[in-house]
Amino acid sequence: METLTREPTRISSIGATTAALLALVLAGAASIEGGIIAVVGAALIGLGLFWDSGRAIDFGAGILFFGVIVGGLVEAPVILTVLGALAVVVAWDLGTSALELGRQLGRETPTARLEGVHIVASLLVGVATATVGYGAYLFGTGGQPAGAIILLLLAVIFLIVGLRR
Amino acid sequence: MNTTRISSAVGLFLFGLAVLVLADVIAFDVTSAYLIGAVGVIALLAAVNGFTRRREERTVTETPDPERRATVPVPGHTLSSAINQFRRDSYEFTTGSQRISEGLSGAAMAVLTRFEGLSKREARTQLKDGTWTEDEYAAAFLSPDLEVEEKPLRDRLAGVLDLETSFRQYVRRTAAAIATIGYGGLGERRAPEEIPQYDPEDFENIEPRTTTKAVTEPTEYRNTQTGYWTGVGALALTAIGFGALAEAPGVVLAGVVGVGYAGFAHLLEAPEPEISLERVLSEEDPEPDEEVTVTVRVSNESGRLLPDVRILDGVPPGLSVTDGVARLGTSLRPGDSVQFSYTVTARRGTHEFDPAIVLTRDFAQSNERTFHVPAKTTLVARPTLRPLATSVPLQPAAAGFSGQLTTADAGEGMQFHSVREYRRNDPLNRIDWNRHARSGELATLEFHEERAARVLILIDARKSAYLAPEPDAPHAIDRSVEAAGRIATSLLDAGDTVGLAALGPVDRQDSRRINLKDTCWLGPSSGHHHRMQLSELLASHPQFSTEPPSAGTQWQAQLRMVRRRLGSETQVVFLTPLCDGGSVRTVRRLNARGHALTVITPDTTAERTTSQQLARVGRRIRRFDLQRAGIPVIDWPADDTIDEAIARAHARGRR
Repeated sequence: METLTREPTRISSIGATTAALLALVLAGAASIEGGIIAVVGAALIGLGLFWDSGRAIDFGAGILFFGVIVGGLVEAPVILTVLGALAVVVAWDLGTSALELGRQLGRETPTARLEGVHIVASLLVGVATATVGYGAYLFGTGGQPAGAIILLLLAVIFLIVGLRR
Repeated sequence: MNTTRISSAVGLFLFGLAVLVLADVIAFDVTSAYLIGAVGVIALLAAVNGFTRRREERTVTETPDPERRATVPVPGHTLSSAINQFRRDSYEFTTGSQRISEGLSGAAMAVLTRFEGLSKREARTQLKDGTWTEDEYAAAFLSPDLEVEEKPLRDRLAGVLDLETSFRQYVRRTAAAIATIGYGGLGERRAPEEIPQYDPEDFENIEPRTTTKAVTEPTEYRNTQTGYWTGVGALALTAIGFGALAEAPGVVLAGVVGVGYAGFAHLLEAPEPEISLERVLSEEDPEPDEEVTVTVRVSNESGRLLPDVRILDGVPPGLSVTDGVARLGTSLRPGDSVQFSYTVTARRGTHEFDPAIVLTRDFAQSNERTFHVPAKTTLVARPTLRPLATSVPLQPAAAGFSGQLTTADAGEGMQFHSVREYRRNDPLNRIDWNRHARSGELATLEFHEERAARVLILIDARKSAYLAPEPDAPHAIDRSVEAAGRIATSLLDAGDTVGLAALGPVDRQDSRRINLKDTCWLGPSSGHHHRMQLSELLASHPQFSTEPPSAGTQWQAQLRMVRRRLGSETQVVFLTPLCDGGSVRTVRRLNARGHALTVITPDTTAERTTSQQLARVGRRIRRFDLQRAGIPVIDWPADDTIDEAIARAHARGRR
């Protein structure tokens, strides 16, 4: 062995690309405009993995997310937007994970078990949140007081600021 | 943080309030759509705040490269070091460019006087006229009178576009011109074909050890927040903001997904791993260059699941991994264990494994802890004690015991020397009976007397001798020690007495301290026990470590000690790369005391850059000067074996 290839690991890269393509399809299904934006984002994620650039993956995920949101803004079905957002976050997570793992351990190192656990954990969190959120939405469409929604949103904002993420 | 705590508390309070409103416990009825818009604006402002604060930290712990060998410099790795060897010490103030041109004219003088047979005065004149080289740039650079002819406009325009400054071009061409003379000088090599690159070579910055500290039990040395999820909150806020402004529930929900991850990131901490490490070598006492399989077994001894464990084994700095990977990324259930294995190629010496690095992260990867986990393993590869294919080139000076050295004196031996008239008491078996039968005269046969040599093998293991033609190729010490083992075996087999000594740092970490007590010294002797001692010293004496020392030591004191202990009849075989003035001074000092001396010099120079070529020329000049002083120097090129080098020296005839 000459040197370690410090590049994104395979399994997570494949996972990230799949998730990005899924997000692209969902954004495209929601709206044409969003789909076009999403193409740029997904391509940037792919290139980021290829170039070993975290910056590119970050921006790619941001653009992809924006593409998904555009679909939501033009009144696309709520479920498409939620799933799209989920796919984007998963793609970004796996991409970053592949990158960091590659930088620390290299591409040749056996990491399948670690990556498997990580993919499952990431999906579980996303699916759980999306289910809760979507469930609340379905439950809440029956004319809940607007005041409650405002309070909920404010609560979320303060919580996020509190988490400093 | 206070603000974060307050805002979390407010968030929780509002959340509770919202639940109460939803459950119709309290009434909070606003119908204004403007209010929702205002909330959206707040969310966007918070997101902007988050994005601008973002980027502050996402850290990836960099990992070292324990699978690589510790690197050593290539002679002439900087231009100034290569040029300084030709400058006379002066305390005057000089600018950098002045120093370079001074050094280069010193080098030109040195090669012209030695290899072109010029006197100093002739050389100076040639430098002044520029007749010493065909390269007009080089000639002009070293001469105060000459200018390069004005070039045609087209070339000058091309020169402007060329990124290399003209000064660099001059230096390169001058160095190449000097190298042409310096290489041809000993009649062995043609001149280099192309002008080398000016810039020093870039070698990767390799950290070959996991830690230099002594670690006896698993120790945590870092606990960091990776900032892995930085930005996901701001992304969520953006979505919520836009969603609220546009009253699009899907977009708000997209933001909520992000909130889930932000919470996930905050919930968990990296577990404390109770990890045990076990390392098994397929062979603990391999021959040099044998392949050894290392199997590492990692067990989780805590009662908790370790979702993310990254392990780098502490491969010794003197060994490099040749097959497989010395790393693993996995997750471990309680009581679970995994193993991985890789192959290293054994190198001569004693190699202790460094502690492994274990990194653990939590499920969300937001907290990372780094540990050193030790497991004591040692690999010892003793140098092969195989005699040389040819006899050792020694000087004709010797002690009075029979041995390998064939002298010019007549006496007892194997090789016919002469016949002389019979004297009384000549032994019967030396009388030429054939002649007696023919003519009745008595005559005595004489043979070349063979005597035992007393030889001290002295190895130059100073910091400045840790050099190699490529940074991770076998360096001069590796090769010297190998040669020393074989030379010693050859001599011992032939009945000579052999000793071993070295110059250079003893301690790897704190080498500035002079440590005469632990300096390698084994007085010339013979016998089985002595042979074992010699082999043990070559394998494991710290001075011969394959790992380069961190600092130089006061080797002059060591040399004085060696000289004091050296018997007057002992001759010295000195193994040195001959790449600095110190090695030449050592030779001269030993020679001044009247010790017969042979220098064997492993060649570590390269010629890829200007400064490397100058370093090579410098070494040739040193060799030439020693040979001119009557000291035999055996050059040992990097791609030859010691047998080939010595056979070539024999073929050329000893001086």
